[in-house]
Amino acid sequence: MEKRLTRWLRVLREDLWTADANPLPPSVWLRWLPHGLVILVAIGTAIADMDQLGDGYNLGTETGLLIAVAQGTAVGLAPWRPVPAWWLSTVAVVVSAMGARTQLIAGHAEFNSPWPWSPPAMVAQCVVLYLLALRVPTRAAAETLALTALATYILQGLIGSANYSSTGMLAVALFGGVVLLGSTQRGRREARTQLVEQAGITAEERARRTLLEERSRIARELHDVVAHHMSVISIQAQVAPHLTENPSEELKENLAGIRQNAVEALTELRRVLGVLRSEHPEDQYGIAGAADGTAPHAPQPTLDRLGALVENTRAAGLAVTVEISGEVHPFPPGVELSAYRIIQEALSNALRHAPGSNVRVELDHYPRGLQVRVINSRPARPAPPSPGAGHGLLGMRERATMLGGTLMATETSHGGFVVAAFLPRSDDPSGSHISTGTTGKTATGKTATGKTATGTTGTPATGTTGTTGTTGTTGEKAR
Amino acid sequence: MTSSAIRVLIADDQQMVRQGFSVLLNTQPDIDVVGQAVHGLDAVAKVAELGPDIVLMDIRMPELGGIEATRRIITEHPHIKVLVLTTFDLDEYVYDALHAGASGFLLKDASADQLAEAVRVVAAGDALLAPGVMRRLITEFSRLRGSAPRAPLKERVADLTERETEVLAHIAQGLSNAEIAERLIVAEQTVKTHVGRILVKLGLRDRTQAAVFAYESGLVRPSGY
Repeated sequence: MEKRLTRWLRVLREDLWTADANPLPPSVWLRWLPHGLVILVAIGTAIADMDQLGDGYNLGTETGLLIAVAQGTAVGLAPWRPVPAWWLSTVAVVVSAMGARTQLIAGHAEFNSPWPWSPPAMVAQCVVLYLLALRVPTRAAAETLALTALATYILQGLIGSANYSSTGMLAVALFGGVVLLGSTQRGRREARTQLVEQAGITAEERARRTLLEERSRIARELHDVVAHHMSVISIQAQVAPHLTENPSEELKENLAGIRQNAVEALTELRRVLGVLRSEHPEDQYGIAGAADGTAPHAPQPTLDRLGALVENTRAAGLAVTVEISGEVHPFPPGVELSAYRIIQEALSNALRHAPGSNVRVELDHYPRGLQVRVINSRPARPAPPSPGAGHGLLGMRERATMLGGTLMATETSHGGFVVAAFLPRSDDPSGSHISTGTTGKTATGKTATGKTATGTTGTPATGTTGTTGTTGTTGEKAR
Repeated sequence: MTSSAIRVLIADDQQMVRQGFSVLLNTQPDIDVVGQAVHGLDAVAKVAELGPDIVLMDIRMPELGGIEATRRIITEHPHIKVLVLTTFDLDEYVYDALHAGASGFLLKDASADQLAEAVRVVAAGDALLAPGVMRRLITEFSRLRGSAPRAPLKERVADLTERETEVLAHIAQGLSNAEIAERLIVAEQTVKTHVGRILVKLGLRDRTQAAVFAYESGLVRPSGY
């Protein structure tokens, strides 16, 4: 029994001896709270004003009611239409002051009444001016303040009255205070809004520029690869007639046609590319620069350099495993380059955002394309914030899209991150891998028969040791 | 003729390119391809081993890029000339290659005749290769990198005599010795002497470097390309 009592008491203490509470629910009522308060003030001032006007100034019930309602309406209107509210309030005060003046001089009013501003009218005008200063430009607010002061001066200073206690100075000082307060708050809010807007514009601008830069960089890389192939075609077409004893005219003509087309295509490519390349694209990647190991004058990388990339990422402190599955066919160089770049970027992201994590790189070869996945576990320690976040993903997605593929990047349920891309072999499935295969074959065939094979004693069978990734022999060699 | 044939080494990581250029050049009686290299380091080694007159050098190669290989080769063997192979002519790499000491550059899709001619011109050393493109290349890139005509270079121009300055300007325009001789109404041998003096005074190794110097010092103003 006693135990139960103790527990109740403890529960009671936990429940009630605390200052904690959930935040208020977002409600329509709450949003209209300030307006409700203003309405209450309006009613309050109207009642007080009626009392002052009817009894204090002795203007009679009807007139008092009329002016008091006008004053109350002005306050109630202020949150919605501040400028008309101010006009209404000011006119009401001037009218009531003029009426009170007659009564004061005649001695019908209460002796020593506050004049020209009755206390309720002062409160009303304060509320109206404050709400106005919050909502209109500073200049307009200053104008209303000046006009109010002028009206007060005309009433008290020029026209004057008798048997009253002066409220003019006090009223103007109060009005000045609330207008200053309102205008300052408004100014601060304006500045903040502008700042936010500007920040928004800059961010958008930056994002757009990054996207464009990214695109042109990717396009350039891919064009590089294409241009390179074109050059080789033009060379081969020139060499071919020298490889047979007596080439027929038709053959020569045909080959000349091939060469001419290749040269024209190259000329076009040069024009499209605009050339004048003023940056080393490879240098832009975080680990890449280090991982390529062969910056800036190395050929564009393909998947056969994946080993080196992974090795360097390991050296940088990530535990990386690689899983390659499926029957391996060499892919078009554009695809291999993009796959390499995507893996490179994903690894560099993992280094940046998930220090000390385990990373798995998966390469699945399908007949129709290449599936690339880079998955990292939850970071071992919190990553330092890095400014350039998001741009890498943008680039990866651009690369995948340009090849007609897809890319997905998302957090895993274990707190890690996964980047998955599918790169189709080509738009036309019957196309490029067959042709690259042929290129590879011709290459070896010629080494055996070519006249230079005998002439160049210095280079025994060096043909396969170079980075011939772009000719399509990489696949076989790498595996 | 064979004894005085121009000895050429081809350095390119692509077997197709090496093979192709070898075949094309070997059809020329006065050109002899003496070897092939598969990357920059290989090129440096093969040059030491084979002692060619000219190296056709690809820029993008694994192990050691063509530009660094050019620099090394020229430092070790100042008499050997390097002709850079490139896919794009208006390329920053080509500009870098010229700075590294290359004597000229050649597009990979050049015709067999252009290829042979380029090798001959660079070997003879008395004319510039593709002066028009070179002028554009140098002016655009020196502008892009924000290096306006440099004062120290200008001061060195002051070491030249008036005649020599004139000859240098003609070199930069891409005129051969014979053409310069014709313009200045002097013997070709005289022009050769002038060229020799210019190179010595400016500490340059060939007329390509002289042309680069002429543009970058602001001696020659690029006009109408």
